[in-house]
Amino acid sequence: MGYTLVNILGALLIVTSTLVLLSKTTRRAVLCYAVQSAVLVALLFTLGVTTGARELIIWAVTATVTKVIFVPLVVWNVYKKMGCPDESNLASRLKPAWSIILVAAEVLVCFVAVGGIQLPTAAAVRPALAISLAHFFVGLTCIISSRNIMKQMFGYCLMENGSHVTLALLAPQAPELIEVGITTDAIFAVLVMSFVVLRIWRGMHTLDARDLTNLKG
Amino acid sequence: MSVFLAILQVVIVTLVAPLISGATRLIRAKMHSRKGSDVFQDYRDIAKLMTRQEVRSNTSSFVARVMPVLYFAVMVVLACGIPMITIASPVPLLGDIITVIYLLALSRFFFSLAAVDTSSAYAGRGGLRELIVGVLVEPTMLLALFAAALVAGSTNMGAMGLAVATGAVSAPVATFLAAVAFALACYVELGKVPFDMAEAEQELQEGPLAEYSGPSLALLKLSMSMKQVIVVSWFLAIFFPFGAAATLNFGTFLLGIVAWCLKVAVAFAVCAVVENSVMRTRYKLLGTQTWAIFGVSVLSFAFLIVGV
Repeated sequence: MGYTLVNILGALLIVTSTLVLLSKTTRRAVLCYAVQSAVLVALLFTLGVTTGARELIIWAVTATVTKVIFVPLVVWNVYKKMGCPDESNLASRLKPAWSIILVAAEVLVCFVAVGGIQLPTAAAVRPALAISLAHFFVGLTCIISSRNIMKQMFGYCLMENGSHVTLALLAPQAPELIEVGITTDAIFAVLVMSFVVLRIWRGMHTLDARDLTNLKG
Repeated sequence: MSVFLAILQVVIVTLVAPLISGATRLIRAKMHSRKGSDVFQDYRDIAKLMTRQEVRSNTSSFVARVMPVLYFAVMVVLACGIPMITIASPVPLLGDIITVIYLLALSRFFFSLAAVDTSSAYAGRGGLRELIVGVLVEPTMLLALFAAALVAGSTNMGAMGLAVATGAVSAPVATFLAAVAFALACYVELGKVPFDMAEAEQELQEGPLAEYSGPSLALLKLSMSMKQVIVVSWFLAIFFPFGAAATLNFGTFLLGIVAWCLKVAVAFAVCAVVENSVMRTRYKLLGTQTWAIFGVSVLSFAFLIVGV
């Protein structure tokens, strides 16, 4: 039962990350990312209860603070500091339909790829492992397809969430230090990227990645 | 007993359909800050048209004459087969999803053919647009329903509804996404804004209606309202069968009728609110939206293969 719930929550992670990928405004992306992080927390908690790994429950608590609250808050503040710029002309390079079909293809390819891996947790969570791997590629898709640099930041966060789940599934007994290493890493990355975005906005008045080809050292 | 149930369903759908379209018109009027006519206006419209004289284009053939009756007959057959009060289909032969899709395609085909048949460029154009909507939305419907059928292990609506009602689905997320994709596809099929305007016979989309008058137009108006009820019931029968009777006795039968009325009312209220909160899409951009819905059903299929 617990493992089934983990698989379902894993699938919901893909659904929410697809919503982040499809969101046209930073506001919606922030909301979807917060929801996705809440799903991630639920997944970590369920996995912790099912496998009896106390570390995973601590991970769930730290992820609530860092990913559900802190990261969305930082990005939203940066967006507000820029004066909520208009993003209507920053549509994705991919049409929504192709984005969703690409996500489906990534899920399938990753499912085939993890077919031969023996899991230390249980064979029952193999779908979740495939999904966590796919999640990494969904993040990559978000970075590549977005022209909006705010959304490219979310692409990085999605990749990071994917690796978080992969780690939880492959090494549920990993010490807290490793997890802290991963989440704090993400926090600093988001802080640095937010700072860079803010500087770009102040200097160039654009959020379009295509306008940034002339940046020189 | 099941024959009685099938006939009862046809009677209910025929009688209730104008009431529902009248209610959606009233909701639209209220949301536009107009007073609007009461919910029984569609009955009066149909009764009025029934007494009027029928006028036909002299270039039209038997297709234009047959179409209103055929359209109505298809809706009657559909109303027999789709489970509404019970989980199982009253006529199992007509309770198959592929039969339903083909029957809807049949009515659409004749609707468009009659539009071309009248030799009016305006009506013909409208008929072609109707076909475009069909081409864009049918693949999504098929794929979403196939995903649900694979989960339930049957293409019979009764068996699919039973699997969802008892929670015996092997891939819950895939079923959920199939339900989302199918609901969106059904919304397109309902012919509401942003995709279409079902009651606007002066508009290009419903151009074929401009060539009809009198009893034929009344029959078509009634059939189109019936189609809306049928499409909504179709979705509810497969993905939201809660409240429908699993075994038939007087108590479950009454509960089934009440549950169906409530579900249909809520579904149409939601549709009416959505319809009046969005802009009409440009025809050229229709494909972008329907392809996105198709993407959702592809994702549902991917989750089905993964097994979640």
